[in-house]
Amino acid sequence: MAARPRPSTDEAREALRHAMARLAAGDQAALEEIYRATRVKLFGICLRILGDRKEAEDALQDVYVNLWQRADRYDPARASPIAWLAAFARNRAIDRLRTGKVRGGAVPVEEAAPLPDESPLADALLVDAEQVAQIHKCLGALDARTQGHIRAAFFEGKTYAQLADSADVPLGTMKSWIRRGLQRLRACLEASEAA
Amino acid sequence: MSGAEDNAREVERDDPMIAAEWSLGLLEGEELLAARGKFATDPAFAWRKGWWDDWFAPLTDAMPGAEPGDHVWDAIAARLAAQQSAAPAGAATDTTNVVVLAQKLKRWQWVASLSSAAAAMALVWVALTPARVAFAPQPVERVAAAPMVATVPIGESGLRLDVTYIPESERMVVAAIGLIPDGVHDHELWLVPADGTALQSLGVVEPGAVRSMTLPAATAAKLGDGASLVLTREPIGGKPEGQDAGPVVAKGAFTRV
Repeated sequence: MAARPRPSTDEAREALRHAMARLAAGDQAALEEIYRATRVKLFGICLRILGDRKEAEDALQDVYVNLWQRADRYDPARASPIAWLAAFARNRAIDRLRTGKVRGGAVPVEEAAPLPDESPLADALLVDAEQVAQIHKCLGALDARTQGHIRAAFFEGKTYAQLADSADVPLGTMKSWIRRGLQRLRACLEASEAA
Repeated sequence: MSGAEDNAREVERDDPMIAAEWSLGLLEGEELLAARGKFATDPAFAWRKGWWDDWFAPLTDAMPGAEPGDHVWDAIAARLAAQQSAAPAGAATDTTNVVVLAQKLKRWQWVASLSSAAAAMALVWVALTPARVAFAPQPVERVAAAPMVATVPIGESGLRLDVTYIPESERMVVAAIGLIPDGVHDHELWLVPADGTALQSLGVVEPGAVRSMTLPAATAAKLGDGASLVLTREPIGGKPEGQDAGPVVAKGAFTRV
């Protein structure tokens, strides 16, 4: 990776936390700051789920307008702001996908062409490293098949029915595979919290 | 890896499991509707949904970033500006109009319950001391400008539309929290005037959203005591011009708070 100047993760995270607090207090200018710092990541998420640039741009608009209207719902004690925003954006994109107004749905990984990332802030804004390691560890402990289906749900926005379809198994089978995986995942994540 | 063994043991689908399924995005239709309804009413479930969201969030780091077009920010800024200018001149009250209206409504409910509590206490006091008391404090009389509310239950789902009308600002707030679109239909809300005149469309309901609108004077004039609401199922976009409205799927009546 080419060397380029960028703020430390901590610095970016702290700046974002501040901006979120100001937004919650009703400072509209904070929204633009948050947009500049997070648009690349959040647009990447919308694009990945919706698979259509126009749809993803509409979803992104809704994400930030919604954020402005409901900034008070963000609890700084809960998660890193970028983790919360990432989940917020993905949830909005999934909602949009489920309205049935989106034609294609998510595109396979190969087709979602990564765009050149010119925003240094955005790639400094990754989710907390410790949390990242733990979810990967717990997912990695699942059998490959279950792990694959859970990842397909997360990255491609697939429903149970779609997953069962593409794996060519009955819906009930897919549900019990995934539920068993989620049960183990929960136990593993809770054990890490207790440790 | 035998299928028989895989299916031998069923996993209990408890609330944390449903929250995980929803967080991953696996749910659709009725199940999605139920999860959203539960989220709105059950703090433990809402907490668990957030817990899963937090844990899954780091996976988004594997999604490549992408630069949206410049017009996206312009559109966001325009929508915020439109919200601001929708506020009446000289009053900062409607800046975040839905929130403000909600607060106003809460205050009204508070005033209303306080008034009736005060009246009830006064009656007790009167009853206990009949000889000495010749008067009772008057409850605050502000009924004229009281907001009107209607609840429109949706079938047996436990979900509902909440409609609030604030006479002084002629604004109506339609909350369709927990509802989700089926992708094939829209639902249109109609005002049924008490005087038997024609139904007036209040527009297509936006599922999952709280929307605030200014009513045209002609419509507001019909919104008095005895007015009710019906919800019809229509094609996407609402009742087509020149055709009959679709079937009525829910009803509700207005009351003053």
